[in-house]
Amino acid sequence: MKKQYISASILMILIGVICFVSGKNFLSLKDLGPIYPSESLTEVKMLSDYFDDIKGSNVDTEIYVFKGTTNGGKVLILGGTHGNEPSGYLSAITIIENIKVDVGEVFVIPYTNHSGMTHNDPQEASPQYLHIEAKNGLRTFRYGSRASNPIDQWPDPDVYIHASSGQQLSGSETRNINRAYPGKINGTPTEKAAFAITEMIKKEDINLTFDLHEASPEYPVINATVSHEKGMSIAANGMFEIQMKGIEMSLEPSPTNLHGLTHRELGDYTETIPLLMETANASQGRLRGKTNEELALTGKDDCYVKSANLGFLYVPYDEKGHPIEERVARHLQGIQEYIKAYNDEYPNKQIISNNIPTYEELFINAKEEELGGKQLGKFLY
Amino acid sequence: MSIELIIFLCMVVTFVAGCFLCKLPVSISMVLSAIIGALVGGYGIPLRHLVEGMFSYVDTILTISTAMIFMKVIQESGCLDALSSGIIKHFHKHTNILLCLIMLVIMFPGMITGSSTAAVLSAGSIMAPVLILMGIPKLETACIISLGGILGMIAPPVNIPAMIIGGGIDIPYVGFELPLALLTFPLAFLFVIMFGRKYVKKLNYEEIKSKLNNEPMEKYGIRLYIPIILAIVLMLINKLVPSFSLGMPLIFLISAIVGLFVGKKINFLKISKDGIQTVLPVLGILMGVGMFIQIMTLTGVRGLIVTSCISLPESLLYIAMSISIPLFGAVSSFGASSVLGVPFLLAFLSQNQIITAASISLIASLGDMMPPTALAGIFAAQIVGIEKYTTVLKKCIIPAIVIIIWAILFIIISPQIAPFIVIK
Repeated sequence: MKKQYISASILMILIGVICFVSGKNFLSLKDLGPIYPSESLTEVKMLSDYFDDIKGSNVDTEIYVFKGTTNGGKVLILGGTHGNEPSGYLSAITIIENIKVDVGEVFVIPYTNHSGMTHNDPQEASPQYLHIEAKNGLRTFRYGSRASNPIDQWPDPDVYIHASSGQQLSGSETRNINRAYPGKINGTPTEKAAFAITEMIKKEDINLTFDLHEASPEYPVINATVSHEKGMSIAANGMFEIQMKGIEMSLEPSPTNLHGLTHRELGDYTETIPLLMETANASQGRLRGKTNEELALTGKDDCYVKSANLGFLYVPYDEKGHPIEERVARHLQGIQEYIKAYNDEYPNKQIISNNIPTYEELFINAKEEELGGKQLGKFLY
Repeated sequence: MSIELIIFLCMVVTFVAGCFLCKLPVSISMVLSAIIGALVGGYGIPLRHLVEGMFSYVDTILTISTAMIFMKVIQESGCLDALSSGIIKHFHKHTNILLCLIMLVIMFPGMITGSSTAAVLSAGSIMAPVLILMGIPKLETACIISLGGILGMIAPPVNIPAMIIGGGIDIPYVGFELPLALLTFPLAFLFVIMFGRKYVKKLNYEEIKSKLNNEPMEKYGIRLYIPIILAIVLMLINKLVPSFSLGMPLIFLISAIVGLFVGKKINFLKISKDGIQTVLPVLGILMGVGMFIQIMTLTGVRGLIVTSCISLPESLLYIAMSISIPLFGAVSSFGASSVLGVPFLLAFLSQNQIITAASISLIASLGDMMPPTALAGIFAAQIVGIEKYTTVLKKCIIPAIVIIIWAILFIIISPQIAPFIVIK
């Protein structure tokens, strides 16, 4: 009997230590690290400025506002909709740290689903951090999750029913902000965050919205721009210029029967023109091999090379992978070309900015050994 | 030999050695094999990954635990005896219809929750005594319950594996109802007749009348059924009114608490302890499996398995799917739907996507019959009092093959039948 108590006590102490160490690690994930905005920054707002209900919660997030000297159109850039798609938030951060706005206003949300950045998905073995050597030293970025943190929103229902359409999806999509638009005023934290973004777009009268994503290489909509029908002409003109720069990109119309996504709901419920861009990210794919930071940054993966040879992928894949520079550069060049196309179509609502790295500067001009973080670091502080 | 294959072999050897040589519990063997996998992969003992992997099953663990407490309350209150004698009394003359009705009742919680565990532990445990009283042996009863559970999980309106597979390529969960109904209900009726008919053919009510315990019904009356009715009503509200989503664990707990006041006096603390003790090994397995799969993903073993499966020649793809998805489903049928279901759906893109996704989800359901987790099989065996759940699994091999053939048939003919059965 005594022996049982001793072994039980030892086990309890061991469990206590494991809980303490794991809990400390989990809490540390809330620190997303600093962002160093360019001198062009006008102000930093919070998403809760547009919907007070989320103030102080983990879905509240920073909005970096850059105003030009002349009034013009307004553009919103959404990074970090999904925390496991690093080129989305790294593109947004690169813009924040480099942009100079001359005409119009640029709003950038680096971590659209802030809550999703603060945890990782069980069984996915994702890296917790990405390390990039920047101009002023080593930077640490979080690698998050596709969904909001269960600490903020739990449990998931068996079936997720999209509030405004009644569409049914797997319960796990309940915490996916890109299935929650246009949001719900008294909904879940994720729905409230989506609602706040919709409110912000309405109140600020945002003309053009970019939602930056990544997709598994086996996912059919990849290296693509998805556009709401009202943005098709801008997307088509921008696409032409993008392809002229040597970037393979397809244009997909937003499906009318798939609800909750930015390119559908923001287009339907607000005046903005929403465009969603996808790049190829092996670290979120189902066919990937070893899962670690290197995979997220370089995209090099033998399993994907094998799958490409078998014809299972929707992007070309070889031993060079798809480095973070290529993926970020695609987004940055895409944003610049679509804004130019927007300016052509709406000359009285111009948005003119500069100093955003181009595809050539960030990817084409890089030496092979500098791909996988080093080259991107040259544009971060 | 690739490093991933070496890691995989080390994990498998550790698991087998832990289970069979050292006679350790399955859960501990899984934890050890995960640790060995991480060590061989050069990750040391990655505490964060082990803990994170374990968290995949928190919701399932809560559902199982509360369902077991609910079941114990139903049993102890006298409700189960009352229900069994009532059903047999009223339907003993129409045995085939009775069997099919019982199968539908077993499937019902799975149909509205998408969980085979919920079906087996709730309706399955309620129907088990009825089937046994009708003369069906325990083994066949367990088979009926476990197959009812997994077919209920796949039957419409709620099929989570189909949602996961469809979601992988952005197919909304629309138009699945009829394909899923055709995939599941004919099989459900076939299996219950196959396992039960020969025993109930000569059902003599007068003979079994004496075995029925009518006392609880006479003493407490119809109020004995309140917890079951409440659970059904709450499940329906859960489905019909999304804003009133209580979740299965809370539904089971509320119904169990109500059950304390409708029949025989119950020591809630004692039966809760008993219930949790019964399911503790399974809960441990789920946690071990969570760690196991996280380490497989971390080290690249998961990628090796998935790419090896889909790299087979086209003619062998159906066989690869039929073997790999249920096998991976041993870890989790939902996990198998995501990790393997989506790539296989992509491999069969030339077929009708909705029927193919629905058919793959049917194959994925077999994961709940695969050891070591085998949730449907284990709980069905526990309910009827069979010690070795593997006997149930062996008896279900033929139905499993029928399920696979039925699903593949649907995939093959999907372009032809889609215009008639996919209604959006």
